[in-house]
Amino acid sequence: MPTVKMTKTIPTISVYSLTGCAGELLVILENLNKMLPYVRILSFPFAQSTNDDGPVDIAFIEGSVSNPHDLERLVSIRRRCKMLVALGNCAVWGCVQKGACSRFDAEQMRNQVYGEQSTIEVMPASRVEDHVKVDVKLSGCPIDSTQLLAVTASLLKDHLPYIPQKPVCLECKLKENPCILIEQNLPCLGPVTATGCGALCPSVGAPCYGCWGPSEEPQMEAMAQVLLEKGYRLNEVLTRLQAFGAPTELFSRLTSSQALVNPPDRSN
Amino acid sequence: MEKSFVLAKSDFQKFLQRLSTFGAVHAPVRVSDQSFAYKPVDLEKEIAFEALRTILPPKKFLYPQREALFSYDESGIVSEPQINEPLVIFGSHPCDLAGMKVLDYIFTAPPGDSLYIERRKHILIVGLSCLPDKYCFCESMGTDSVDDGYDVFLTDIDDHFFVEVATPKAAELLSDNDFLIPASEPYKQAFKDFWHDRKALFTNRFETSNLPALLDLEADNPVWEELGNRCLSCGNCTFVCPTCYCFDIVDIAQLNGKGQREREWDSCQFTDFAKVAGNNNFRPGPIDRLKFWYRHKLHGFQDAYQLPTCVGCGRCTVSCPAEIDDIVGVVVRLEGSRQRDSIYAKEEKN
Amino acid sequence: MSEDNHLFRFTVESNAFANCMPGQFLEVWIPGVGECPISVCSDSADGIIELCVHRIGRVTDALFKMEEGDWLGLRGPYGHGYPVDEMEGRNVILIAGGLGIAPIRALLQYILNRRERFGELIVVYGMRHSLDLLFRHEMKDLYRRSDLRLFIGAEEINGPEVPPIHTQLGRVTDMLRLAQLDASYCAAICGPPVMYPFVVNELKLKGLTEQKTFLSLERHMKCAIGKCGHCFVGGVYTCQAGPVFSLADLRFVPEVVECANC
Repeated sequence: MPTVKMTKTIPTISVYSLTGCAGELLVILENLNKMLPYVRILSFPFAQSTNDDGPVDIAFIEGSVSNPHDLERLVSIRRRCKMLVALGNCAVWGCVQKGACSRFDAEQMRNQVYGEQSTIEVMPASRVEDHVKVDVKLSGCPIDSTQLLAVTASLLKDHLPYIPQKPVCLECKLKENPCILIEQNLPCLGPVTATGCGALCPSVGAPCYGCWGPSEEPQMEAMAQVLLEKGYRLNEVLTRLQAFGAPTELFSRLTSSQALVNPPDRSN
Repeated sequence: MEKSFVLAKSDFQKFLQRLSTFGAVHAPVRVSDQSFAYKPVDLEKEIAFEALRTILPPKKFLYPQREALFSYDESGIVSEPQINEPLVIFGSHPCDLAGMKVLDYIFTAPPGDSLYIERRKHILIVGLSCLPDKYCFCESMGTDSVDDGYDVFLTDIDDHFFVEVATPKAAELLSDNDFLIPASEPYKQAFKDFWHDRKALFTNRFETSNLPALLDLEADNPVWEELGNRCLSCGNCTFVCPTCYCFDIVDIAQLNGKGQREREWDSCQFTDFAKVAGNNNFRPGPIDRLKFWYRHKLHGFQDAYQLPTCVGCGRCTVSCPAEIDDIVGVVVRLEGSRQRDSIYAKEEKN
Repeated sequence: MSEDNHLFRFTVESNAFANCMPGQFLEVWIPGVGECPISVCSDSADGIIELCVHRIGRVTDALFKMEEGDWLGLRGPYGHGYPVDEMEGRNVILIAGGLGIAPIRALLQYILNRRERFGELIVVYGMRHSLDLLFRHEMKDLYRRSDLRLFIGAEEINGPEVPPIHTQLGRVTDMLRLAQLDASYCAAICGPPVMYPFVVNELKLKGLTEQKTFLSLERHMKCAIGKCGHCFVGGVYTCQAGPVFSLADLRFVPEVVECANC
């Protein structure tokens, strides 16, 4: 690892985790050698044992707000940082704990997993920006290394980073993959999902699950229509579309199935 | 040197080997049950001669999906020499050759695009004849045969290819060989018969006279709303189009102060394509964007480069997950006639 | 200038921008951030070029944060500006809405530097709020000139700012009604898209012809050389055919929302 020059001019970063799988933390760890010459780490509980939880230039936050303790920490971090970067789908969109689990009662889930006597405090999962001001949102599941480094480079120069929200289809087609939505009728959500992953799943023949969250102004109704015409049931379609935390307002017309045209008979 | 030859199919590997002395040969290869893609090939058996349309057109060689414009560091722009490896594109059909001509026209129009022009010099194009399927409508667009835009063109006549050598570059490459035989009369006749008979095989077609007027007249036709509401804004139609050339330019910054300015294919179907500062969007919805694309492809002569940019390859039709890029079907609907039925009726009678 | 608008003055060593015409634009590139088109705000002279920039996006934000010693890229000038040759010898009205004053200022300077070649001159400058007024000192000077008439209007007036300046309550169209112009005028307009239909209709009432009404379109000109497609409108590239068009020419360009209903 390169030596770190401890001068005052080096910007400081802290890396925190709320409720998430720590995937983002691993990506940061993997890129630490590229980042360290340019930033000084104050707090990174996942990676070091001595942490300074004082004021910091940039706070990277991973995970969703899923219990009162998360919220408490988030508010305290926001008070101490100049820039707050929400990292990964959990922090930006709420991921499966918000999307897929929103149909269930949080306490009931806690009881089933930890037992009736559990003292763990829970609350319905929510996004970081539901509670505090977020300066930069970098989604991913986990985030992409190149984007992380580019965003960090921008922030260190006090520039607003460019984070495209074009659909997965862009990267998929640019890689010249056969379209699995068309050729295999797989429920691929590439058209409505933000890219940055390099079309990872469709490139190996698996349908996009939408793990990076929605693309800019996703055409959810059109997407649902295409899937319904392939024979998927509305319930299943909605579950898929919402699984990774896409905000419910994107589905406002979808949830009343009247909006959808009856799929034509494809038997002939 | 003669310009017309025949190549026995049994000698094809020799021909392929000779092409590879110019540069890496890229030809259609099967990548799934339904799809083909241009990939590097060494052997005849790797080539999918039956391929009608590859997922991406050969434009990807002339104008790559993503390319660096230049690099920079903290002191300024660092120019790096562009290295262009010689390349052979084998097996492009007339529609794709027409598409590459459109790109040539656009990228060389003043001020020319230096990266494109430089790369183009290192490419040798070998065209290949084809027989249309139900999606091909190049005949309607006038691109079912081409008189130029290739270095060599092969026409499949039974157990031979009829070989037209069209450029000095190709003539030099193919000089002194034992596999090209000057075309004798029967082969010339077979060549003419092939192209004559092929005309009759097109089933997907529309009336192209007054096409620009039609698109202007029908700018408010309900068909746009119907299709636009189905549109996923995924951009597939534009990436697979042999003539779509729009790009985005982005800076890829590194922590060490260095960086690269890159361009990447972009799509007019994406939400932010026509956005300006302050989030004002000149084409805010999928209906606006889809109509814009159709118009750009078909309107032609009043547009910036005075040429219609649809070559009738049918890629958009087969690549649209929402099945809204049936160009022929849409035009026929706009024409509001029973023209398609009448064409079919005529064929059945014949 | 107000907090989010700034006049950037660039000294250019080469004569690359010497022939820059009012209404043309430059591409400003900030390494690591990106590029954006900015219209030229001054009549080019002495190797100095001025750009009036509103801080609204990533690139302009970065421009505001630049420090001494930082470098950026400028390329251009691009596009067709206001047809000054056609306007020579005629009465001219310049109409600016909001930040549209930037290219109009360039044209105004051009005319004032060659005042004898043009007829009567009217300048109309409208804005939402009187505090949005740009080039306050210059406007003050313009009011003192006898060879032009200046009308400044704001939809909302608060003040006074220093120096105080005569601002009337009203929109650009209200100022046009006060301006007493007639069919002998040719018009150069720049402003937000919503402004154009109202202005164009008012000019028509005064008898100005479509051939002599010139307006500047705002589109995202990314490459500026007619390739990238982002500024494509109807059938033309704004970066090459425009950004300034005559209203008569725009009649044949569909998709132009700026004059769709006029």
